[in-house]
Amino acid sequence: MQTKKMLNKIFVYLIMIFIACITVGPFLITLFMSLKSPSEGIYESILPQQMTFSNYIDAFEKANFGQYLLNTVIVTALAVPLNLVFCSLAAYPLARMDFRGREVVLTLIIATMMVPFQLYMAPLFQLTGNLGLRNTYFGLIILQIATAFGIYLMRQSYISIPKELEESAFIDGANRFQVWWKIVLPLSKPTLITLAIYTFTFTWGDYLWPLLNITTSEMNTISIGLAKLSQNFDGANMKLISAASILSTIPTLLIFIFLQKYFVGTTDGAIKG
Amino acid sequence: MGKMKKWLRGLLAITLILVLVGCNSEGSSGNEGNDNQGEEGELSGEVTLWTGSLSGDPFDSYFEEIEKAFEELHPNVDVIIEDIPFNEMEQKVLTSLTGDDVPDVVNLNPHFMANIASQGGLLELTDLVSEETKNSFVEGAYEAGIIDGELYALPWYLTTTVTWYNGEHFEAAGITEIPTTLEGIYETAKAVTEATGKPSFYQVINDGNTVIEKMVTVANGEPIVKDGVAVFNENPDILEYFTIMQKMYQEGLMPQENADGAFSTGQELYMAENVSFLESGVTFLGPIESGAPGVFEVSKAGPPLAGEQAPMNVAVMNFAIPSKTDNPEAAVAFMEFLANAENQLEFAKVAGTVLPSTKASLEDEYFTNPGDSPKALGMMEAAKSLERSKVLLPPIESNAELRETTKNVFVENLQGRLTPQEALDKLAELWNKAMSEAGDKVTF
Repeated sequence: MQTKKMLNKIFVYLIMIFIACITVGPFLITLFMSLKSPSEGIYESILPQQMTFSNYIDAFEKANFGQYLLNTVIVTALAVPLNLVFCSLAAYPLARMDFRGREVVLTLIIATMMVPFQLYMAPLFQLTGNLGLRNTYFGLIILQIATAFGIYLMRQSYISIPKELEESAFIDGANRFQVWWKIVLPLSKPTLITLAIYTFTFTWGDYLWPLLNITTSEMNTISIGLAKLSQNFDGANMKLISAASILSTIPTLLIFIFLQKYFVGTTDGAIKG
Repeated sequence: MGKMKKWLRGLLAITLILVLVGCNSEGSSGNEGNDNQGEEGELSGEVTLWTGSLSGDPFDSYFEEIEKAFEELHPNVDVIIEDIPFNEMEQKVLTSLTGDDVPDVVNLNPHFMANIASQGGLLELTDLVSEETKNSFVEGAYEAGIIDGELYALPWYLTTTVTWYNGEHFEAAGITEIPTTLEGIYETAKAVTEATGKPSFYQVINDGNTVIEKMVTVANGEPIVKDGVAVFNENPDILEYFTIMQKMYQEGLMPQENADGAFSTGQELYMAENVSFLESGVTFLGPIESGAPGVFEVSKAGPPLAGEQAPMNVAVMNFAIPSKTDNPEAAVAFMEFLANAENQLEFAKVAGTVLPSTKASLEDEYFTNPGDSPKALGMMEAAKSLERSKVLLPPIESNAELRETTKNVFVENLQGRLTPQEALDKLAELWNKAMSEAGDKVTF
């Protein structure tokens, strides 16, 4: 029996190691490639023979990655909190307040998710141009301030919260806004974190909209910087691209590592019964 | 309650700040409100140029100099140069044309140019460019900017085909001459594979365009399409080409990855010494130099794998002017300035892997006596084959369809799913359908 358990465990661990290799392997290969010196061939060996950070220095000095990184940080730092604020506010009436046309509003919001971006990017481009938002941070985040996906996600989260919790708050004299702020929103923390991560990763890696709305190199984001490197006229320098890719991945990894502990449900045991 | 008000006030303040930041930040790159012609016809206003994937040094310094020089010639003109990832250039130009923020000069290739021009997005240049300027270019490159007899673009830099080979592998196989016949390619590949124990030849397919160009080269002057009807399936030389390619793939002289056919796959295989020779432009060496310095050192360039008189393809980068520019006079002047012999020569020197399209620049010692580095040898071979080069696949409406079907059928042929003749017949049928639907009555 003991041996069987042990064999099962070994089998499970082997599968987990295999999956870890598949998922982490490419990242490690990119990391090792980014640490190779100019005289090393990228296919000579997996591990760098003469480890160097010169590719990272080149990414900042020659490929202007510092500016691209800064732009992306600013855009993401603005987009994520604004998205959380507006989506969580917009979702509440759609989940809890009875008003005429609520279902129609919800359907219309969800319907916008079904339209491919390519279909409305041209009018959107015109609109942002007319509003003077070309080459501005605000022009870059405008699409992320309130998203149909965010509103829908938050609405679904609110629906899952027991109504009794809100009713008892009303009995204690809280108004609608206080109930949302002090009861509903704290209980939706895991969904808020999920939405934050989703918005972060989307905004961080967004390519098409910054490409269209930005025409000056100073305003380029990291995804455009990477595209420029990989489509370089003189061919792609894989070591430099690897260094730039690692730099662009680190913030996403950190955000995920620090926020993953919040993915735990918070309403378990909130009401008796 | 107080806390809540504070929170609301904070939210309003953030929104207001963002709107103000958005409205006050740097303006668009458009040319709104420019007074483009000063007194006495002097040029003025903004001219925005979009280059494709030419950011970073040495190009930044080159374009800074260009900007400075043009602004000195025309003190009332403000030149703005922006770089765009080239693959997205077509989409970005087309999107910009839906609004008013259009660039004044754009760096395109003939296919992007043809598509944008067919939608009315480019300025017709025939009467705007002087005869002297028109005559300064290499013929094949200049013709790449003409659609239905109208000029839409001026040529800029060019790349033509050369053969890249691993000198050590060739030496080990005892090969001393670059093959110029299909049978010769097979014999060379076989000898090198026997010496290295690895596949040796890679046929770049890309999106099918390279195979079509190769078919035109192999046909050696005989049209492969006559008045919109494919005739290549009756050409014995093209049948031999398909037969040799299939044989080499089946015998392992070409790598399995050749079914992918991407240019970058060829580069990776060459860097890893898993293939030993292939045809490509000089830009092929760029990533080899940084990614596999050892392979770069032993790389050598030779003439294309074709007969001495066979037509070769030239890849053209050009300059065009979007039809919505509000500063056409300055745009034309700037485009002519960018494409003049002096600036093209300087650009070719800075880039190190391309040819200029102006005849005068090609006479410079830089091309006639370039030295003996792998890149220099490549440049010399490329310059030699320029005389017989032109754009082999004309910019026609069914272009994308022809390329896609060619790639698919060529791969089916490689993998032996069709006999070479069946593959050519199938391809001819698909081409005829595509050209007939698009109304393309071309001969090439």
